[in-house]
Amino acid sequence: MAVCVSSTCDRDWNDQPALRKQIRPAMSATAVDLSDVSKRFDDVNAVDHVDLAIRDGEFFSLLGPSGCGKTTTLRMIAGLEFPTEGRISIFGDEMGLRPPNMRPVNTVFQSYALFPHMTVSDNVAFGLQMRRLDRREIRRRVGDALELVQLTGRERRRPNQLSGGQQQRVALARALVNEPKVLLLDEPLGALDLKLRQAMQLELKDLQTRVGITFVYVTHDQEEALTMSDRIGVMDAGRLLQVGVPEEIYERPTSPMVAEFIGDTNLLPATVKADGQIELVGGQIVGADITASPGAEIMVTLRPERLHIVDADGSFPDGHNAIDGTVARRVYLGNAVTYGILAGNVTLRVRVRNAPGQRQFDVGRRVQVHWAGDAAVLVERG
Amino acid sequence: MTRTLVPEDQPAPPEASQELERRAADARSRRGLWIASAPAAYLVLLFALPLLIVFVYSFATRGTTGQTILADWNITAYARLFNPLVREIVLRSVGYAAVTTVISLVVSYPFAYYIATRPARMRNVLLVLVMIPFWSNFLVRTYAWRVLLSSSGPVSQLTQLLGMGQTRLLFTTTAVVLGLVYGYMPFMILPLYAAIERIDLGLVEAARDLYASGARAFWRVTWPLSRPGVVAGSILVFIPSLGAYVTPEILGGSKTTMLGSYIVRQFLSARDWPFGSALSFVVTALMLIATLVYFRTGGRTL
Ligand SMILES: Nc1ncnc2c1ncn2[C@@H]1O[C@H](COP(=O)(O)OP(=O)(O)O)[C@@H](O)[C@H]1O
Ligand SMILES: [Mg+2]
Repeated sequence: MAVCVSSTCDRDWNDQPALRKQIRPAMSATAVDLSDVSKRFDDVNAVDHVDLAIRDGEFFSLLGPSGCGKTTTLRMIAGLEFPTEGRISIFGDEMGLRPPNMRPVNTVFQSYALFPHMTVSDNVAFGLQMRRLDRREIRRRVGDALELVQLTGRERRRPNQLSGGQQQRVALARALVNEPKVLLLDEPLGALDLKLRQAMQLELKDLQTRVGITFVYVTHDQEEALTMSDRIGVMDAGRLLQVGVPEEIYERPTSPMVAEFIGDTNLLPATVKADGQIELVGGQIVGADITASPGAEIMVTLRPERLHIVDADGSFPDGHNAIDGTVARRVYLGNAVTYGILAGNVTLRVRVRNAPGQRQFDVGRRVQVHWAGDAAVLVERG
Repeated sequence: MTRTLVPEDQPAPPEASQELERRAADARSRRGLWIASAPAAYLVLLFALPLLIVFVYSFATRGTTGQTILADWNITAYARLFNPLVREIVLRSVGYAAVTTVISLVVSYPFAYYIATRPARMRNVLLVLVMIPFWSNFLVRTYAWRVLLSSSGPVSQLTQLLGMGQTRLLFTTTAVVLGLVYGYMPFMILPLYAAIERIDLGLVEAARDLYASGARAFWRVTWPLSRPGVVAGSILVFIPSLGAYVTPEILGGSKTTMLGSYIVRQFLSARDWPFGSALSFVVTALMLIATLVYFRTGGRTL
């Protein structure tokens, strides 16, 4: 069993219904442990008291808006930056001030940082040469690594003779060839166009499963994080807000920031009444699946795709909450239509699938918006 | 795994657009010619033409009283380039210039590296400090060294104080090389700085991440990437050192005569213009060749 240092760790240990990958029995070991880690630059708290245990073999994503401290966290694990406070251990070894070349991790840098004066194969061979491996062994492993990222035949090219996607894969091969215990990736797909990025997401995930190396993946793209990760840590302003599997992060955000950052949502301020019911600021009483103590000022998050629209006199399933409103806005998106429904003093965004037989509504029409009780999730007010 | 993720290279443009591209390139090069005409005129008038005159004079004859006779064209002057005295002076000059270059490089590199890795504002201040000596006359600064190095000067006084006796530096090789290093070091620092400043420090971090120690990261990444600066700086120091005149005249003695002084002597005291011209022409031609070689190798990436 894991030695869980962080508080987030034991919690999601117990309530993981759908761990996407349940292959490794030894998933218990902690690969990277950050214990109360902070990093200050002059007067900026780039990383602010972060506690995090990344498990061996998992694909862990650090997700957050630009400037929230993701890169700094990654650099501290790599040894390119040292914490102002706190401790970092890799497989139980406390890193302290150990320089990057003495750590069992490798990094795929955001801008790739390929050596421009070396060929593709010299780039990939670099780490092995520094570790003074046998020449033949190096050649074999470089060949394997280039095959893994489908760059066989490009060995003698220089980085500037490669496309962005190819450079990205050289950077990947250069890190993977060393068979590190942990691979750190800093927005490795950020510079690629959408099609290629989506293809590479699946490819990377696939690769990670095959090589079984722990990936710590930094991204500001929530879709990317949801697609690839076993678990996600959401950061904002240097703080780690929530850690969990993608489903948990998406469906049970614990803070307004997480709810808003991951996907689109309606965030409504509310208060908890004496009888445990929840009253939206407009006076509307709604049910939700979590109880909170009476009097608490909270936020309710409602995902647009969990909301439904019926005519003002239409019917909806028992147990659903409903609000009356008027269609204020209608945006056609091809595979869906999003509505802005004015209900009292709030506008709810509702996403309706554009499927045959699906009823759509005109602007100005009086309607009811309804949702299942568990669609509304309470979050503390930030 | 046989799938290819990356769309392969785009198809070649059709012929019509190739024709268009060629015309655009032609137009560009015509424009380039126009812009280049002023510097070209400058080079022809003040460099190529005088060099041609020197070249012509080198085949002329020296009259008995030292006048130059533009007739009886011959190559005696070139034959005399192989006499032992010339060889000695050439070897000495090349030696001094080489030593000056190496010392300048070794001293300048850490200096340039330091400047290049400071925050932008600090960098500018330091660069201005490097250039400050240029604000006063080179001759004056060289005479200052004469004071510093003289047997009653501060250096000598210091060694006497330390009980090492009087130093005799002035008019020696040491004094000349010291003066050359002092005079030309900024020409080493500036290109080195420019080259190092352009290196992405992320590359060094990548090397460290790939198990390179600080020293190995330097030799495998920083040093090769700064080579254009090393080459440019070395040429900018070597060439003027080789042809130095003022420094060896003021700080050197009869045993440290360099090419510059020797050539001047041909024109002034010896009144042997053909020989002086031959010397000048060969030195200039060799330097041109060296520069061309530089541009063909590392210099191109500068
Ligand atoms: N070397 C540095 N010096 C000063 N401030 C820095 C430095 N590196 C990062 N920061 C600051 O720390 C914060 C977090 O930066 P970073 O970790 O790069 O964020 P992210 O990768 O999430 O975009 C930002 O406010 C950034 O300006
Ligand atoms: Mg970043």
